[in-house]
Amino acid sequence: MKVSDKTYGFLLNVPGLLIVVFWVVFPAGLLILTSFLRYNNLSPIVFNGLQNYKRLFSDRLLWISLQNAAIFSGGTTALTFIGGLLLALALAGIKTGSATFRSLMIIPWAVPPIVSGIIWKWIFSPDFGVLSDILMKMRLISAPVSIYSNTNLAMVGIIVADSWTRIPFMGIILLAALLSIDRELYDAAKIDGAGALGRFGYVSLPLIRGPMFVGLMITIMFSFRTIDIIIPLTAGGPGRATYVFGYLIYDQLIKTLNFGVMAAAGMLLFGITTVISMLMLSLSRR
Amino acid sequence: MFDRIFESKITAYILIIVILFLAMGPIYWTVTTGFKPDMETYVFPPIYFPKHPTLEPFRLLFEYYPFANYVRNSIIVTLSTTVIVTVFGMFAAYGLSLYRFKGANAVLYFLVFTRIIPPLSLLLPFYIVVANLGLQDRLLSMILANIYLTYPFAVLIIKSFFDRFPRDLVDAGIVDGCSRTGVLLRIVLPVSATGIASSAIISFLWTWNEFIYAFVFTSTSRSQPVTVGCFDAIGDIFVSWNQICAGGTIAALPGILFVLFAQRYLVQGLSAGALKF
Repeated sequence: MKVSDKTYGFLLNVPGLLIVVFWVVFPAGLLILTSFLRYNNLSPIVFNGLQNYKRLFSDRLLWISLQNAAIFSGGTTALTFIGGLLLALALAGIKTGSATFRSLMIIPWAVPPIVSGIIWKWIFSPDFGVLSDILMKMRLISAPVSIYSNTNLAMVGIIVADSWTRIPFMGIILLAALLSIDRELYDAAKIDGAGALGRFGYVSLPLIRGPMFVGLMITIMFSFRTIDIIIPLTAGGPGRATYVFGYLIYDQLIKTLNFGVMAAAGMLLFGITTVISMLMLSLSRR
Repeated sequence: MFDRIFESKITAYILIIVILFLAMGPIYWTVTTGFKPDMETYVFPPIYFPKHPTLEPFRLLFEYYPFANYVRNSIIVTLSTTVIVTVFGMFAAYGLSLYRFKGANAVLYFLVFTRIIPPLSLLLPFYIVVANLGLQDRLLSMILANIYLTYPFAVLIIKSFFDRFPRDLVDAGIVDGCSRTGVLLRIVLPVSATGIASSAIISFLWTWNEFIYAFVFTSTSRSQPVTVGCFDAIGDIFVSWNQICAGGTIAALPGILFVLFAQRYLVQGLSAGALKF
C-alpha cells in the first residue's frame, strides 16, 4: 500500500514526535503539576495551591539570586558581544590564515562548560594562579589576588570565564553575517564620503541586525541560566556573591530536596526566559 | 588617518593575535599542566614551559581513579544519542522539508519552542521520571535526556540543508522508480551529507559536554561520564591539579579535535541552526 506524500511526510515525523512528546510535554506537565504540590520527601505529597510560589517569592535568597543572575547575564552578554564583534571584524578583515584562526578561536566553545569552570579555577588559583603572575609581571598588581575572597572580583571572574566560552559562538554568527554583505555597498558608501566608522554604522550594522539580535538573545537566555561553569569555579560564593538563579533551582534538588519549590522556581525560570526571548524577537523585527 | 588604522590588515592581525592569546591561553595552560610533574605544578611563579614533561598525571588518573570507566560511559552515551538523534532527525527533516503535511508548521514551531524551555526547568521532572523508572545510575537515563536536549536542534539543522535541495531531483528519482525513502538514501543524503555531518557533530559535542543532568542522574563510576568525573576530581583531595588538568584535557579532546578537523561542518551547522532559532 502506498500512502500519499503528505501522509508519508507525517509518518516520518511520528517517531521523533513521540520522543519529544514523551520527553518534553510530559515533563513540562509534570513540572506544572509539581509546582502546585507539597513535595519535599519528608511528608506525603499533597496539593497545596500556590504555597510553593508564595514560599519562593518570600525567600530573600530568590531576590539575591535573581539580581546576581541579571548582573552575571548582563555582564556576560556585554563582554561576549564586544569580544565576538571584534573577533568577527578582525576575521572578516583578513584572508591569509583566516580558516586556521577561525578554527583556533572556536575551541573555547567546544570545551565542556564544566571543564571551562575547572580551567578557570586553576587560572584564578590564589596560590599557583597563572593570572596573578601575569598581572604581577605587567606590574598591574603587586601580590597574588584571590577572586574567591572578594565579592566583586568573584562576579567578574565568572563573567570572564563564561564569556570566554560564549565569544566564539557570537563571533561565528556575526562573521557569517558580515561576510554575506555585498562589497559594493561599502564602495558606494565610500564614494558618498563615509569614513570607516560611518561605513560600519550605516552599512554593516543595519545589515547584521537580525543575526546580531539572535546572538544577543541566545547569549542572554543561556547565560541567565548557566551554572555549569559556576559550580566548580565559585560554587555560588564567597557568601552569596555568585549565587545565581540557576543555582537556587539546583540547590533545591541537591541540598534542600524541596521539589515543590524547585518546580515553582523552574516555572519562574521558564517565564523569565520566554519574556526575554519575546522582547528580543520584537526588537529584532522593529 | 583613523580610517587607515581601522581598516588596515595590520590592525586586524594584531587584534587576531590578542584574541588568539586570550582564547588559546587557558587551553595551553590546562594541557601543559596535565603533562607536568607535581614539582612543577605547585610552584609560584608558575612554570610556563614544562621542563620535564611527563605522562605521570595521566597514568595516575587512570590507575587510581576510575577514569577509564568515565571515558567508556561518555563514549557509549554520546554515540548512542548521536546515532538515534541523527537518524530520527534525518527522517523527520525529510518529511518536514519535502513532503509538507498538514500541521508541519505546528511541528516546526513546537520544535523551536522546546528549545526555549530551559533544560534546568525540566531537570526536576526528568529526575522524578528517571527515579520512578528505576533508571538512576544507568546510562540509559542520560541517553534519554540528551535525546531531548539535541533532537529538536538536529531536525532544524538538517531541515535547513534539505530545504536547499532541488525538488525536481526528488521528482526525477521517483519517476526513475525509486521509492521516496530510496530517494532520501540515494539522492538527497549524498548531496546533504554536510548537513547530516554538522548535525551529528553538534549532537555529539552537546551530549559529550553535558553535565547537570548526568550529575543528578548518576552516582557511581558505573555510569558517570567524563564531565562528572572531572568535577568529582576537584573535590577529591587525593587528586592533584596536574591530574585534574589531564582529565580536563581528555574531556575537552573531542571538542578540540572536531573543531580542528571538522570546523567547516560546525560553523555551517551552527549558523544554520542558530539563524533558524
